[in-house]
Amino acid sequence: MHALEKRLVAVFFISAVALSLLGVAFVHSAGSYWGEIHYGDSLPFAAKQGIYLAVSATAAVFILKTRQIGNPKLWTAVYIASVLLLAAVLIPGIGAVRNGSQSWIALGPFSLQPAEFAKIAVIGKLASMMSERRGRKVFSPGHFVVILLPAALIMLQPDFGSMMIMVVSAFAILLVGGYPLKFFFGLAGAGAAGIAGLIAAAPYRLDRIKAYLDPWSDPLGTGFQAIQSLMATGPAGLTGFGYGQSRQKFLYLPEPQNDFIFAIIAEETGFIGAVAVIALFFLLAASAIGLAARQREPLSFYMISGMAAMLGFQSFLNIGVVSGLLPVTGVTLPFISYGGSSLLAAWIAAALVLRFASGAGMAKRRPGDGQSYRH
Amino acid sequence: MRRFIESKMRKRLRLAFLMLALLFAALVVKLFQVQIIRNPELTEKAMENWDRELPFAGVRGEILDRSGRKIIGNKVAPTLYFMPSQNRDIPAAAAALAPLIGADKSRLEEQMSKRASIIKLAPEGKNIPYDTAIQIGRLGIPGLYTGVDYVRDYPYGNMLSRLVGFTGYDNQGLAGIEYEYEKVLTGKGEKIRMFTDARGNPLPHVGDGWIRGKAGANIELTIDLRIQEIVERELSQAMLKYDADQALAIVMDPGTGEILALASAPNFDPSDYASVDPSIYNRNLPVWMTFEPGSTFKIITLASALEEGVVNLKEDSFFDPGHVTVGGARLRCWKREGHGPQTFLEVVENSCNPGFIELGRRVGPDKLTEYIRNFGFGSTTGSGIAGEASGILFSKEAYGPVEHATTSFGQGISVTPIQQAQAVAAAVNGGRLMQPYIVKRIVDPETGKEIERSEPVVKRQVISEEASGKVREALESVVANGSGRNAFTDGLRVGGKTGTAQKVEEGRYKDGDYIVSFIGFAPADDPDILVYVAVDGPENEVQFGGVISAPMVGRIISDIAPLRGIEPRDGQMEREYRWGDPVQIRVPDLTGRSRDELVKMFHTIRIEWNGPPEGQVIRQLPAPGTMMEESGIIHLYAGPAD
Repeated sequence: MHALEKRLVAVFFISAVALSLLGVAFVHSAGSYWGEIHYGDSLPFAAKQGIYLAVSATAAVFILKTRQIGNPKLWTAVYIASVLLLAAVLIPGIGAVRNGSQSWIALGPFSLQPAEFAKIAVIGKLASMMSERRGRKVFSPGHFVVILLPAALIMLQPDFGSMMIMVVSAFAILLVGGYPLKFFFGLAGAGAAGIAGLIAAAPYRLDRIKAYLDPWSDPLGTGFQAIQSLMATGPAGLTGFGYGQSRQKFLYLPEPQNDFIFAIIAEETGFIGAVAVIALFFLLAASAIGLAARQREPLSFYMISGMAAMLGFQSFLNIGVVSGLLPVTGVTLPFISYGGSSLLAAWIAAALVLRFASGAGMAKRRPGDGQSYRH
Repeated sequence: MRRFIESKMRKRLRLAFLMLALLFAALVVKLFQVQIIRNPELTEKAMENWDRELPFAGVRGEILDRSGRKIIGNKVAPTLYFMPSQNRDIPAAAAALAPLIGADKSRLEEQMSKRASIIKLAPEGKNIPYDTAIQIGRLGIPGLYTGVDYVRDYPYGNMLSRLVGFTGYDNQGLAGIEYEYEKVLTGKGEKIRMFTDARGNPLPHVGDGWIRGKAGANIELTIDLRIQEIVERELSQAMLKYDADQALAIVMDPGTGEILALASAPNFDPSDYASVDPSIYNRNLPVWMTFEPGSTFKIITLASALEEGVVNLKEDSFFDPGHVTVGGARLRCWKREGHGPQTFLEVVENSCNPGFIELGRRVGPDKLTEYIRNFGFGSTTGSGIAGEASGILFSKEAYGPVEHATTSFGQGISVTPIQQAQAVAAAVNGGRLMQPYIVKRIVDPETGKEIERSEPVVKRQVISEEASGKVREALESVVANGSGRNAFTDGLRVGGKTGTAQKVEEGRYKDGDYIVSFIGFAPADDPDILVYVAVDGPENEVQFGGVISAPMVGRIISDIAPLRGIEPRDGQMEREYRWGDPVQIRVPDLTGRSRDELVKMFHTIRIEWNGPPEGQVIRQLPAPGTMMEESGIIHLYAGPAD
């Protein structure tokens, strides 16, 4: 491994660790009051997040040790398992409804969000497919089947945010895999037309757009979360109110430890803190992209690119919603938002980046021969 | 089979990286817009959203008299506030609260259910009695708060009401001093900024903000409440006794222009101003009323003539046939048959109109006008009292010989009482026209620091000290020997002048409707107080200033004298006895005498003995050396003999 590669690995790893620790700290600050009011008797969110982090770390170590990680059969199995889970979550009695979406499977005291893992599964399956292709022909209908089946299942929950992240990460693999650019332009055109069609079909979506453009047009309805988020970030100014000094976390901003945790970070640490966190996410995604570019094995290349796209796009989507750049969509902030599924998925993605960066892509064909690719 | 990464794929990866960089840059730009550019706007909106302020009314400044006695204060009258989010059973809360504050239950419930963070329960819950607030506090209704609030407190009731005015629903000054000094008196309210969560639950671990207010400044008037009480007593008695329409009085320190009392009758209840006719509360009579001054104005003519040196009061003589013809008009003396031959001092004592026409003629029309203006007539005094009028003088064009003549004895012009007090003060204080003033100083009640202090202002020297001395002497003589005899107060050397003026209505004199006035001062050798009294429309008695107003001024002066430290003095002009006057005798000193001795000594004075018959006198009323009517009784109080 080149010294540069080593450095990229270090940057990636340190960014992920730093974001996770920041996550625990801000889950504590943002969620204490909410948790006390709503789940007074149970363990505080921050303590639970610590446990989730420990579980995630264990999972990450396990992934780093897994020899068969590059095996296409493994990814097919993972993919099928996630599709089944996505289907299962829709069955009443298995899936639980939260905030209007049937996205959760309860497992005793824990609950699992299959969509979080489906994203990884689709990236893994697609990366595996792309790396196995032969000849110059890139385009394959199979790719779209792999993408659209789980996407459709996720939209049935519905969970627009997770679907978006999954589709965008998958298309990122198609993009770096050499799909013709015309295809993406066409896709963009079709997307715009689709949105126009959706608005025409259901005028309430226009209200969503209106609320996005001016949240105060419906301050207690569609604009509520956007306004509460702006009232956290806006007054903070350059330096913020200081750690623990958020006001919006006192039930003004709903579930401040979850999707809108970045608003509390921005409120307590100001523009400077917010930009610092954005910089960490950028370092995370950029170092992953750097690592992808240095891969010789297509599987590693696709896998790392896909994970980088997922982490980068998801953090963009989340912060975009919090800052009012994008319409409100429920997406967690990787590593930071409270929640086991989200944190575990982020760390699985991170571990996969690290694992493939150290040559896992060859494992299947040349066991123990990773050395020959090192310099 | 070899696999490799095509260069196209690396280019695509670079493209992906570029897109990521652009997206993240967009985030930074958007956050900059939200957190830096829109910071003030969003801060304001957030403050509104967080606002859970419980307002405490600002303490309004008090209005005090010259020695700090409270004329108007404040009393606590709490106001109720309600935070709907903190109460889960608003109908029950409304039902419990409604009877206590006399509100309609359903209307109150509707008010309390409003979607607002904090609701002021007005009007029923505004300024409730303190005891009711305590009672309500015991109910322990969640979300109901008692805000400290005040209403005005009037320890002296209606006293001074036309001067100090009153405050309205929100304790804002609406009339008088309250209105005029609104800015000074208004306090800035204190607030408790309660830190709550979105549901309105207080957050005990987060410090509530206490936003400090500022009490309004106290205003100390030049008024002396003890003098005011005396004056108002006299006015209300006069109102009753003479069935007058209205009455007014001014007491002034002629040396400084300080107003010691300013009274109008009738008064009104400032806490119930809504039921009072605005013509009462808007008219502070001593500064608002303008009327023909009548004879009190002759002091101005007299002072001018003395300053000009055109008369020697004791040497020059004048014959009054009862009328005089000026410019073809026949002007009559108030005494139809005339006063006959008199010295000019007697002209003043008799208030003889033709005599004053002569004095005015000697001064000359232009000079007299100049003096009148110099004495402050024709313009407001600058007293700083709301609603002051400027009076009406003849214009230059309209000022012919007849007007000159009538002005000389105080007819045909219109002046305010305060202008007269100001002018006469100048005539007797050595010639200095002092600006009358009512506010002594303004004090910050928290620090005790003086914010503002009024000092006497000399407007100008109108006449000389010498001429002023002659005016004093002449006016003392009016009281001792002339038309002002009823104001005579033994030992205090009262000087003064009566005035009786017919009221003018629609440009014509109204028959049988007079304003009778008297302006007096004491002591004549060194004036310390000036008292002006006017009674408008007395019905029951002979309508002359000398009969109605002069005794009022006499009583006021004799009551005020001890308060002002004016000692009875020697050298007074003794009162001239006239037929019909009660015979006055000087009270002998009877202390130490036994009853038997007294029986032998006095035959003409009635004595009332109190105490043991064998004892001797230890106290007596009236005191030795004072004057009493011959028919009066001396009360003696005896103790055991030595």
